[in-house]
Amino acid sequence: MSKSFFIDTTLCTACRACQVACKQWHDLPAEKTTNRGSFQNPADLSFETYKLVRFNEQVIDGKLNWLFFPDQCRHCYEAPCLEVADDPTAIFKDPATGAVIFTANTKNLDADEIIDSCPYNIPRKAKDGTLAKCDMCLDRVQNGQVPACVKTCPTGAMHFGESDEMLSLAKQRLAQVKGKFPKATLLDSDFVQTIYLTAHDPELYSKYAIASVTNKGIIAPMLTRQEALQKMFKPFIAAAKELV
Amino acid sequence: MQVTRRKFIKISGATAAGLAVSSLGFSLKDARAHTQMLKTKYAKETTTICCYCAVGCGAIVHTSKKGDGRVINIEGDPDHVINRGSLCSKGAALSQLTENENRLTEPMYRAPYSKEWKTVSWDWALGKIAKRVKATRDKAFTLKNAKGQVVNRVTNIVSVGSSAMDNEECWTYQALMRSLGLVYLEHQARI
Repeated sequence: MSKSFFIDTTLCTACRACQVACKQWHDLPAEKTTNRGSFQNPADLSFETYKLVRFNEQVIDGKLNWLFFPDQCRHCYEAPCLEVADDPTAIFKDPATGAVIFTANTKNLDADEIIDSCPYNIPRKAKDGTLAKCDMCLDRVQNGQVPACVKTCPTGAMHFGESDEMLSLAKQRLAQVKGKFPKATLLDSDFVQTIYLTAHDPELYSKYAIASVTNKGIIAPMLTRQEALQKMFKPFIAAAKELV
Repeated sequence: MQVTRRKFIKISGATAAGLAVSSLGFSLKDARAHTQMLKTKYAKETTTICCYCAVGCGAIVHTSKKGDGRVINIEGDPDHVINRGSLCSKGAALSQLTENENRLTEPMYRAPYSKEWKTVSWDWALGKIAKRVKATRDKAFTLKNAKGQVVNRVTNIVSVGSSAMDNEECWTYQALMRSLGLVYLEHQARI
């Protein structure tokens, strides 16, 4: 059985407790930022920021809407980063929870290639090329606790549990909000373990809210022809390197 | 997300390609699945109340049992009747009250017109504050108002309190302020 997040953005007030709790649990340092005219802070995910609430001001039907999107790794069922890395010591899927985990060995991978493979633009690299992202608080989950972000959420926007239960909760919640928000939708819910519910067009929340069909990702063909060939030859190249 | 026939073929195709590719290479050993240890496993747990606002959320403080007693983690107390485990961004950052390199541990003094802060002793600082409060209070202490009624009040000092104080501390504090004659007692959480 795998575990999933369900993030109901209709309930999110952008208090950013999830962002802070994530930093706190992972002992990550603060980032020095400057005023960019937005409450979104820091500006983007980074090697030291696994979770970020995105703020967007959008005019929908002539009315100003302030949209909040607590962005994080989706822990895809068929994760492109894992496929591209092809190195279980660097990126692996925890069998019990389905969490996609990056280890310190990601230093040996082509960081940009991995970042590029992610349809949601999540992994970030350190100066030495090591990659980092949300780890589903695997230590907490393995010890029967929920991830730090879910634990702290004061509005009940974040949920965590068995994947099938989260999906049915998401569908139930979608049906509830449909009356108020006819365009409400669940994002890529059959492919990922972080299910978002948005009230409006997901692209208004974040450029990478859904795996776009044009993007290489889990919904479009997972690997382009070139990438597939590259991957097929990888073991032979590695073997050849060892021989030399 | 509706899966159309076309998308389904794409996905199954991709999965098949993935399988074919993985069977070509060297054996992909399953990653070892060992349970990680919680960083709070051997920590002492103490309950506390968040100091930041009037909601009064409960939190659990995990401190090291290894002598130094420093804070390892602070998170919402699931058994607390008010917040049931949740905390806002301020509460979630509680551990920084103690585990923070920017935290001052000694009183600092900047003399008027000086650009420098210097470390001073508690005795010196408290004495200085007491003298200044007394001087300011004496300057504007009002014994009687315009009608000749006894008021015994001070209107040139305002207290904005402290949200980091508990109920009993607040009572003692306001008693001190009223004994000086202050009438403007506020609380920073309201401002």
